[in-house]
Amino acid sequence: MVKEKKKKILVVDDEPDNTSIFSIGLKDGGFEVDAFTDPLLALSKFKSGNKEYDLLILDIKMPDINGFELFEKIQEIDDKVKACFLTAFGEGYTEEFGRRFPSSLNVSFIRKPIRVDDLVKKVNEIMVNSL
Amino acid sequence: MKIGQVKHIDGIRTNFVVTDTEYTSSAIMQQVHAHPEIVYSNVKSIVEQQQYLFENLWNKAIPADHKISEIEEGVELEKTHVIQDPRSILKLFIDMIKSAQQEVFLILPTVNAFLREHRIGIIQLLIQSANERSVNVRILTPTNDITDNILKNTMLSSQKEKRKRQGFDFNFDLRSINISSEEIAVSTVTIVVVDKKESLVFEKTDDTKEDFIEAVGSATYSNSKPTVMSYISIFKSLWKQVDLYEQLKVHDKMQKEFINIASHEMKTPTQAIVGYADLMQRHPEKREHMIQGMSRNAVRLQRLTNDILDVTRIDSNTLNLHKEQFNLDNLIADAIQDHAGHIEKENLDIKLLYNFKKNVNDSLPIYGDRDRITQVIYNLLDNAIKFTKEKGEVISVSAERKKNGSKQEEEVIISIKDTGEGINPEIQPRLFSKFATRSFSGTGLGLYISKSIVEAHGGRMWAENNPEGKGATFTLTLPLRSKEGQIQSSVIKRMTGNQSG
Repeated sequence: MVKEKKKKILVVDDEPDNTSIFSIGLKDGGFEVDAFTDPLLALSKFKSGNKEYDLLILDIKMPDINGFELFEKIQEIDDKVKACFLTAFGEGYTEEFGRRFPSSLNVSFIRKPIRVDDLVKKVNEIMVNSL
Repeated sequence: MKIGQVKHIDGIRTNFVVTDTEYTSSAIMQQVHAHPEIVYSNVKSIVEQQQYLFENLWNKAIPADHKISEIEEGVELEKTHVIQDPRSILKLFIDMIKSAQQEVFLILPTVNAFLREHRIGIIQLLIQSANERSVNVRILTPTNDITDNILKNTMLSSQKEKRKRQGFDFNFDLRSINISSEEIAVSTVTIVVVDKKESLVFEKTDDTKEDFIEAVGSATYSNSKPTVMSYISIFKSLWKQVDLYEQLKVHDKMQKEFINIASHEMKTPTQAIVGYADLMQRHPEKREHMIQGMSRNAVRLQRLTNDILDVTRIDSNTLNLHKEQFNLDNLIADAIQDHAGHIEKENLDIKLLYNFKKNVNDSLPIYGDRDRITQVIYNLLDNAIKFTKEKGEVISVSAERKKNGSKQEEEVIISIKDTGEGINPEIQPRLFSKFATRSFSGTGLGLYISKSIVEAHGGRMWAENNPEGKGATFTLTLPLRSKEGQIQSSVIKRMTGNQSG
């Protein structure tokens, strides 16, 4: 039996506790995870890689560049990559999102706080839908 | 002979008598002498027509004694009359605006009304009056993008003209009534009041018409004081209402923003607590690390809750200060000792120095809220330690008594200077506003609260990066009070406007 290659996820959240929790949780869920608290470092990692990520999990509110801006820059390198935004805000972000990505289909949202199992479930759903 | 009532009316060109059954009139008037030729009729329809005519004139006339006293006193009495002819209304409207010396109040019922008045040149005339004759012009009107543009352009060209000629003094103010018409009764009439002396109120019969003459119905002109004053009071209450409504909208927006950010900030540590709790069972080997994470985030959540409560109290003017007499020197010394203990416990390589430049037996007597001032000093020391991470760095606290230049009152100046990373230039302009932080453990509310507390004690607070290049200095002043004061409560005033450091 051929062992299925693990799906690879890039997690970017400026809160070290969150990156640590999401990494452990997603690795437990069977994914390979790279996690960054600095969005600019994450971007340079993405640039140096070979479009290896199946999914980006991005916090929205971050210093230097926010999650939307980071996704825009990553899309310039890989326009197929899927993103899932983590948000602790209420409703305000959807307007900005609609403006930035008017026809984006490969994007979803997760509201913080989220239980670890729910996060893994949601990520599995995204991966299945993208097959 | 008994006379029933005599009334005065201007402009009658002929004499006539009408009874129940007959009508008589001199055909031509010559001075006061009646001409021998007369018109007579007892035809019912002619008599009735003349009766109708008399009734109309009678209703329009004013009591004779009013006219007599007007002539005797040489003043024109106040009048109120109805004008039906749209052209006369238009002429009167323009004449009134042109004659204005001090002020014009104008209420427009619809955007279309504004556009019509603009077409006939009223808006330009009003801006001119404000510009050239310093007439105080106040307009209440519904607005939209088109009216905003018109106004902007008209005002711009007028202001340019004005600048060319003399100093800049503009008395034109327009407020937008974009409240639904049910909330404001004035939605069908235009009201104009000039110089608190005369008013003109006209109805619109068809708001869809672009032309003033076609759109306007009848008008009521008055220079009667009670009538004019009533319109002024309607205008002023609407003006105030619009003002309050605008303030309410701003306040509402700020409150929504605050709730949005506060909830965001609270979700962040909550996510960490929830996450660690979920993982702890699966990863007993990381239990210690995860408990630490939970505890750290629980403390952060608690601090945030307290800070949000303080901010809510400050913003709603309900943060009470429980003032008492105490010595600030002791308070600072205690705070420093506490933080020195913390530095030692955490094994941080930071030097904490305190220097009170005092003369013999000098002290720092303060009449204030001891707990709140402690909160301020702790906030500043915590910040200094948090942003001073490299080895061998120094935090030096100094206190100095000084005369406050303008008032000759004594104050204490406390400076907390560190050699840490300094204030981020992005944060600097809003350092003392709410939720300004780049720190993970901070709430972004501490400095806002501290500055509010200091200002409520009559002091000042500011911050700057050190000129020598490393670290920052936070400085606060508090007035010194040596007299024993009565213990009393006062309320922190809400901070407004410029709170930036």
